Amino acid sequence: MFDTVYPQLIGLCTGALLLTSALLVWRHSLLASIRLLSVQGFALAALVAVIGLEEGEAEVIIVSVLVLLVKGMALPWVLAHETRATTRTDEAPRLNPTAGLLTVALLTILSYVVASRLLSGDTSISAHAAPIGLAMVLIGFLLLVTRRQAGSQLIGFLVLDNGIATVAFLTSGGVPLFLELGISLDVLLVVVILYVFAGRMRNKFGNTDIDQLRKLHD
Amino acid sequence: MTPVEAGMLGQVALLAAAVAAALLVPARWRSRVGGILCTLLAAAGVVTGVIALSGGQGSLTIPAALPMDPLVLSPDRLGGLVMVVVSAVGVLASLFGIGSARVASASRTAWASMAVFLFGMQLVPAATDVVSFLLLWEIMTLGSTALLLAHHATRGTVASALVWYSAMSQLSFFFVLAGFAVLAGATGDTGFAALATLDPASWQAGLAFVLLLLGFGGKAELVPLHVWVPRVLPEAPGHVAAAMSGAMVNIGVYGALLVCVRLLPNGPAWWGVLIMVLGGVSALYGILQASVASNLKVLLAYSTTENMGLVFLGLGASVLLRRDHATGAADAALLAALLLMVSHAAFKATLFLGAGAVARSTREMNLDRLGGLGGRMPWTAGAFGAAALGAAALPVTSGFVAEWMLLQALVHGSRVGGEVVSVTASVAMPLAVAVIALTAGLALLTFVKAYGIAFLARPRSEKAKQAREVPLIMRIPLVIGAILVIGLGLLPGPLAEALASAVGPAFTPDVRTIGLAGVDARGIDVVLDPATVVAIAALVLVPVLAAILVSARRHPTRVSPLPWAGGGSRLRPRMQYTATSYAEPLVRVFDDVLRPTRDVEVTHVGESRYLVERVHVEQSVSDVIETRFYRPVLGLAQRFGILARRAQNGSIHRYLSYSFVALLVVLIVVSL
Amino acid sequence: MIPAIAVALLQLVLFVLLSPLLIGVIRQVRARLEGRAGAGVWQPWRDVRKLVAKDPVRAADSSWMLAAGPVTLLVSSLLLCVLLPLVGTLPLPLVPSDLFVIVSIMLIGVVALALVGLDAGTAFGGMGSSRHMTVAALVEPTLLLAVYALSIPAGTSTLSLIVETRLQNPAVIISPVSLLAMVALAIAIMAETSRLPIDNPSTHLELTMLHEAMVLEASGRDLAWLELGSWLKLAALLGLLGNLILPWGVLTEFTVAGVLVGLAAVTAKILLLGALLSVGEVFLAKVRLFRVPELLAGSFALALLAVTASYLVA
Repeated sequence: MFDTVYPQLIGLCTGALLLTSALLVWRHSLLASIRLLSVQGFALAALVAVIGLEEGEAEVIIVSVLVLLVKGMALPWVLAHETRATTRTDEAPRLNPTAGLLTVALLTILSYVVASRLLSGDTSISAHAAPIGLAMVLIGFLLLVTRRQAGSQLIGFLVLDNGIATVAFLTSGGVPLFLELGISLDVLLVVVILYVFAGRMRNKFGNTDIDQLRKLHD
Repeated sequence: MTPVEAGMLGQVALLAAAVAAALLVPARWRSRVGGILCTLLAAAGVVTGVIALSGGQGSLTIPAALPMDPLVLSPDRLGGLVMVVVSAVGVLASLFGIGSARVASASRTAWASMAVFLFGMQLVPAATDVVSFLLLWEIMTLGSTALLLAHHATRGTVASALVWYSAMSQLSFFFVLAGFAVLAGATGDTGFAALATLDPASWQAGLAFVLLLLGFGGKAELVPLHVWVPRVLPEAPGHVAAAMSGAMVNIGVYGALLVCVRLLPNGPAWWGVLIMVLGGVSALYGILQASVASNLKVLLAYSTTENMGLVFLGLGASVLLRRDHATGAADAALLAALLLMVSHAAFKATLFLGAGAVARSTREMNLDRLGGLGGRMPWTAGAFGAAALGAAALPVTSGFVAEWMLLQALVHGSRVGGEVVSVTASVAMPLAVAVIALTAGLALLTFVKAYGIAFLARPRSEKAKQAREVPLIMRIPLVIGAILVIGLGLLPGPLAEALASAVGPAFTPDVRTIGLAGVDARGIDVVLDPATVVAIAALVLVPVLAAILVSARRHPTRVSPLPWAGGGSRLRPRMQYTATSYAEPLVRVFDDVLRPTRDVEVTHVGESRYLVERVHVEQSVSDVIETRFYRPVLGLAQRFGILARRAQNGSIHRYLSYSFVALLVVLIVVSL
Repeated sequence: MIPAIAVALLQLVLFVLLSPLLIGVIRQVRARLEGRAGAGVWQPWRDVRKLVAKDPVRAADSSWMLAAGPVTLLVSSLLLCVLLPLVGTLPLPLVPSDLFVIVSIMLIGVVALALVGLDAGTAFGGMGSSRHMTVAALVEPTLLLAVYALSIPAGTSTLSLIVETRLQNPAVIISPVSLLAMVALAIAIMAETSRLPIDNPSTHLELTMLHEAMVLEASGRDLAWLELGSWLKLAALLGLLGNLILPWGVLTEFTVAGVLVGLAAVTAKILLLGALLSVGEVFLAKVRLFRVPELLAGSFALALLAVTASYLVA
């Protein structure tokens, strides 16, 4: 029974990951982005759980719970808590949404082409979907490059991280539990630290526009 | 003597007669005699082409005075097809010219060069070796240049247009020459049959392919060699523009077909990708410029770039898919390219003739000052409308059938039996579909604008108000063109069969006629029968019409002098939407690509900051490729020119010393 | 062949009867949600009857387009009802419900409406026409790419076969390819039928209108045809969407019981989708005209992602 729906479930989870990444490029509002990020965390957790069920490994299921807690709940909560304290939650990205979305589509195609060269030998269903992880990494980079606010850059960073995790789970069935634990905690720590800094910068300069930070080193 | 030989000899004889008539007949009769002889010349081309297309053989050998083999003209089926298309447009253009040619375009030069132009164009597809091909190609180019030159006396802007045209056609001639030279060098012969023995995978074939693609692409008005088009065609009178844009571009397509079907079939995948990119960019860029153009002829000229882009897109897809063994889809794509070529010739010739008729009646090509011509010129409006439907690829025109075939080929191309054929194809096909879809959408807007602004609504100027229908001799080609556009759309089955036979024996697309002259592309298992769709529409229409008739008897239409306009009773014609305002949302959407220059100037009443006396808005969209690519190149060339002027100061001593130095260098090199 | 023609005829009659009711339901649900009493679900019917029984008025400068355009729109919408697989998927001979053909038949209606807008030579008509065509031009890539994505599992662009494939293999419906394509298609259909958030169908402020601005000059039966044609188009496209999302109940083999089930199923699906649409519209505001391309680019990106995803996940 599970074997028949397995490809569908993998498809659904990776589809959700891709869709949320695309929507993150579309939406300007920081709060909406955080909500999408949370959905993405849930989708990633679901993906891990599906792989775990297929392989029948309890360890992977534990990892999925961990992913759910950290990426689906904790990180978005930290971000949302911090963002509500600020006044400006709208982003004016360098790339207009139209061009951004088209770039997303092209990046996805690019990752498909690249992955089809790299993974041509592997025909398993999960490896087939690996380019989506790669696309997420690229989209994360795109967000990092085009966003001005420190907060939304952080979101780009998190998408990138989710992308790496997706590739890892899809190609090798996941990283060892301790490594995953370490990475998740690291990411959490980085986010907390960055947000503390961002909050202090805002108190000091009134905003966190990265463009204006260039003046800081003077 | 076979019929094909007789036909070609007839064309030579008629050329001589037409040139002689143009030079000798007095001005009063010149247009009539010259026009009729040109029509006969083109009609001879149609007959010859039809015979050649249906398999007729025959060759005309011209023992050249050149120190090489005699020139041999012998059209095969593909050549016959192109000859038919080109000459059919020639017939329409010549007929129209009888009525429309005046002053400059009825001069001796004009009619003589028209005949030479038609002759060259009709016989290029008959060439069987490189030399005769290039010779006829140059006859065609010179004929068209002289034809444009005939207007030099009356209009100043012609001069600059002509410089662009000559430069661009010599550039594409250079590319074609270089490409053929590489091929001939590799095989040691100039006959097409010998060139075809070259292995497409060799580097010479690749180099020749790129050069020939650029050259033929330039003739087909593809980006980036299209810059002459929006300058030259608006200056040419309607029938000349129709012959150039409806017929001459097909010679470019023929060249590309010659390379991809006859000389170097089964080329590598990158050829296909390159052709597709060139075609896709041309299609999008052309239609984007057309959609924002306000001059009717500029709009039509850019739309040619778009359509030729689609032709090349189909051709590229067929090369790529054949490489990936998706033969059914590859055949359909090739067929789609041919269908597009044929349908484009029909509707573009009709559109340019329609524009010529409008120009004659109103002396105005700016859509912003036209309007309301539908009631004043009903024949022209009807023909233009039918052709515009074709250009917008709506059913039931030939343009629709062609675009449908292309889309079906692309949709069925990326997978065969559920398996992905190749990574390249799986990326290229959806992107191509997207490009075609956006092109089709914009084409829809473009031609709604062209027809709606020019022929509907109220006249926007006095000239448009005074417009009268053109004389009968000009209406005939318009109506024939419109019938062709609709008729070819209703009978795609026989047309597709004829086209499929033209690309044989190298390729054999499997198409049949089905139902009421519908087309059945069995390679990809798709069916289209426009006539049946029309029949169903007619059946649906019956109850609607009955309801209208009943209602119309009880409630006749009342006519009010003014439109309601949301209650605005003081509505003047100037307050209507113009072509410029119609395209305004699009200009905003594609701001980054088109880079329009806008200039708004507000004059206030007296001292007041709030009361406005006059607002002056100026917006112009220039050709980005011209301003961003050619201008810098030309600037660079000019700087070199200035340097060269220093070297070339006219002093005989300096020239002699140059020669002396050159001799010394040669001697030193030889001695090394 | 006879059953196929009978089903096509039934579809035609059903949709002519149903489409005003659909509009009535949409308006009534909306009115109730906004705390109004509403005019009742039969009001669009009464509107059409009233319009047909009036003398049309046309301006002296307008042409035959003002009368022919509405009829063209109506016929193109009626053709959609004949050709789309709504009640059943029995193929008509020689005229498969090929999506490219259907899109272009729909575009004929779009063009007719745009020309009607231009015909009287008023500022509002031109404005509506220009915006309408801009939206139509930008929707086209989404529409065709969504078609492309949907055609992949079935291996054909024939709609009745696509619906049958989904009926036989429901797993296809929830595959990411299909989901992305359906979202893209839904946005494209909202744009094509002038619904929120692209156009506000109930507005009376000229500067914000697309569809309404074009029909300002039409009156009497001309207006009735325009309205009926637009409603039919909405009903047919919603029916298509319904059959793609929930293909159950569609007639594939001709039986009398099957026909009745098919009729009931498609009616239920359309009215349900209409009610959902109406609920959705209560929470939506019309986006600014110059944000519309953004929305359409979004739907285009989704469609392109759908096609790309088809290579990545089965």
